[in-house]
Amino acid sequence: MARLSLDGVSYWYPAMERPALSDVTLTVAPGEVVALVGSVGAGGSTLLLVVAGLAPRVVGGRLTGDVKRDTEVAIVLPTPWTQVSGMAFTVWDEVAFGPANLGWPRERIAAAVDRSLARLDIAALAPRDPATLSGGELQRAILAGALAMEPRLLLLDEPTAELDPAGARACWRLVRALAREDGTSVVVATSDLDAVPELADRVVWMDRGRLRRAGSPAEVLADEALWREGPGGPAVARAWRAAGCPESGSVPLTVADAVGRLR
Amino acid sequence: MSRLHPFTLLALAASLPLLAWILPAPGGALAPACVALLLAAAAGPRRVLLPALLTAAPFWLFLFILHGVTGMTAYGVRLTAMIASFVWLVAVLPPARLVEAMVAAGWGAPSAYLFAATLSAVPVLRQRARRIVEAQRCRGLSSRGSPAARFRALRALALPLVLSALHEVDERALALESRGLAAGHRRTPLAPPPDSPAQRSARWGLVLACVLALAWRLVWRG
Repeated sequence: MARLSLDGVSYWYPAMERPALSDVTLTVAPGEVVALVGSVGAGGSTLLLVVAGLAPRVVGGRLTGDVKRDTEVAIVLPTPWTQVSGMAFTVWDEVAFGPANLGWPRERIAAAVDRSLARLDIAALAPRDPATLSGGELQRAILAGALAMEPRLLLLDEPTAELDPAGARACWRLVRALAREDGTSVVVATSDLDAVPELADRVVWMDRGRLRRAGSPAEVLADEALWREGPGGPAVARAWRAAGCPESGSVPLTVADAVGRLR
Repeated sequence: MSRLHPFTLLALAASLPLLAWILPAPGGALAPACVALLLAAAAGPRRVLLPALLTAAPFWLFLFILHGVTGMTAYGVRLTAMIASFVWLVAVLPPARLVEAMVAAGWGAPSAYLFAATLSAVPVLRQRARRIVEAQRCRGLSSRGSPAARFRALRALALPLVLSALHEVDERALALESRGLAAGHRRTPLAPPPDSPAQRSARWGLVLACVLALAWRLVWRG
């Protein structure tokens, strides 16, 4: 049973003639991590808004096709400073904002918030004023706020845009852990192609609102068309190709894979 | 003062301008205006009282031009009471406390948020305006000097301020929606501000004072 299924979905932003999404069909299984990759304007962010039920309900515009979700959804948008509630004295309150809106009992809220803060490794920030956080800290607090709502389907739009490399790696580890240990399905729009091979079970290449290709990371990221007309691939694969290393038809997608082949 | 229940602070901030407009000016309106200015001074002479006076000053000038000294005094005192009360309220009442109090009193979270957002808008816009001024200065715009230069700087500030605020409204609506604000559940108050019978009585006292002043004014004018 798919946790999310899109069938022939097209979406137009208000007053736009050209659709931002065209005839997209996609399913996401429980515990699956799906990475949306593509050039700027490919439609990844729009797809997440549609899946979250925010487009067209909040954004406006027109939707055709069928979107089915059988679970609670949380979405993290790329700009953390526009996602703060503005109604919290502390980071703890900020993370509790979503669960409190869901009307949970205080004990459940407290447990969920503490667990999320610990998972994001920001328990030490709990008493801080959100206005004093750096962009990366705030991004983690917002992600903790989404996790505290205990979604079974998590939508992430460039979640590492504000994070340093170590923070980004921790974020991707968390995504894998959420999928593996909690069975949370994750759809993530990302331009961090280096992380995709180890992060995603499936990669979806989007191009000008259309789903161009979907498959395993090895299949999609090695596709010549993706390199020619899309965002390319991981840096290690680019270096491998540029160096003219052997087996050019099957490039390594991770550093570990490249090292293994060179040895 | 900021430890008072949010509804008490709201009642005080609402009743002072009301009384200033109901009571005859300038004598009757002077008392509520003075109380509002005293509250503003107590909250911070530079942080609260000064901005209130600076905001009120142009109104006094326009009123003098339009109505002369008598009209300026009559309306100016009332407007000053309004402005000082609002600036004082913004300074002493964190929107988060107001939301908690309203939710605990049975209001829906979206309505409470909308109401409280009017209080949080002022500091947020002020902070953003400061950032825009800094950014424009980095690009060579001077906000000092002649009135013409200051006007040019104001134009360079106003447009990005309005556009960025409009853009942020869109994104914030998405974020709040995704965080369950409009999910239709009754929000759990996390830390409802404590109330007391004395404060409840004081609030009703302020309402009664406004009603009595209105009644007296109507009878007196009749």
